[in-house]
Amino acid sequence: MEAPDEQLMLAYRDGNAGAFETLYLRHRGRLFRFVLRSVKSRATAEELFQEIWMRVIEARERYTPQARFTTWLYTIAHRRMVDHWRRGGLSLVELDEHDPPGDSPDPARQMEAREALARFAQALQALPVVQREAFLLHEEAGLSIAEIAAATGSNAEAAKSRLRYAVAKLKAAVEDD
Amino acid sequence: MTDERDPKVSQRYRELGREEPPGELDAGILAASRRAAETRLAPLVPPTGRRRWYFPVAAAAIITLAVAVTVHMERSQPDAEDIAPPPPAAPPVPAAPELRKEAPAAPAPLPQPADAMQERRADVQPESRARADEPSQPQAVPRESGAPARLLGQVAKAESPEAALDRIAELRRQGKHDEADKALAEFRRRYPDYRIAAEMLKKVERP
Repeated sequence: MEAPDEQLMLAYRDGNAGAFETLYLRHRGRLFRFVLRSVKSRATAEELFQEIWMRVIEARERYTPQARFTTWLYTIAHRRMVDHWRRGGLSLVELDEHDPPGDSPDPARQMEAREALARFAQALQALPVVQREAFLLHEEAGLSIAEIAAATGSNAEAAKSRLRYAVAKLKAAVEDD
Repeated sequence: MTDERDPKVSQRYRELGREEPPGELDAGILAASRRAAETRLAPLVPPTGRRRWYFPVAAAAIITLAVAVTVHMERSQPDAEDIAPPPPAAPPVPAAPELRKEAPAAPAPLPQPADAMQERRADVQPESRARADEPSQPQAVPRESGAPARLLGQVAKAESPEAALDRIAELRRQGKHDEADKALAEFRRRYPDYRIAAEMLKKVERP
């Protein structure tokens, strides 16, 4: 049975570097995608991603498992992102070339799927920052409404409302296909 | 957990890809975490988190305690009233003169009067000295003989009508008729409805 995140973080706080490595490997992908889809470029995302983990390391002495580790981690991430946006870093997510899954040999269908994915990415980019953040926290990080509210310093009603608007807009983009 | 996901939206989101941070970034972060874990054991790490509050909180507690003790000690200092002679109705006791001599020294350690209560107390102190004045202690009388009528009026506020009459009678007996007249006039102004007994009236009125 895997050790819970909170236990690993406490172990790291007490000097166990291996516990941090386990924790990091468990969360690195999701956190990276959360950041990547919130900012302008991959380079910026990598810089922010590193800074967020540095803050986790610096804050280890103050860590107490009052909430899920994930909520704590994304609270730190949210604050770092807000700093970034306030400095003028707010922009659209840079679109990469997305290769849709599937092994359809039909070039026309592949093109169609690629266009559909591009529309979805554009719809995600076009979301207001708070709605996109709520969506990413829910979809990518797996946070509940209450946890989104805690991580973003808002209330549950606001978090729920933002998430619903985001999902509704993205759903409209999907259904346009 | 309330799931607000929409299956189609979730699926499309997954199709965007599963980007990962580059390996060198992983290595850098993990190296930093190991360095931090090692430095944690360094003896000169400054207190962080909750512990950083200990020192200012402890200092504040000590200061508060010191101030409280000082105030308490000042308030518990014996003042002139505490060691003054018994109430005016009580007969003078032989110890009164000694106490009276000590009384002027008593106010020295007292804090400056800051409120009405303390002002009133300061006014009463001379009266308590006058009350303790016995015929055998004429040296203290000039203090009272020089007191203005205002003082007598204030004295009258603090003593009963009977005590005031006794004091006026004493003034008559000492031949201080002007003072006795003023005190009697003040007495009548203050207690217009008080009926002075015939025997006392003889003592307090000018013969």
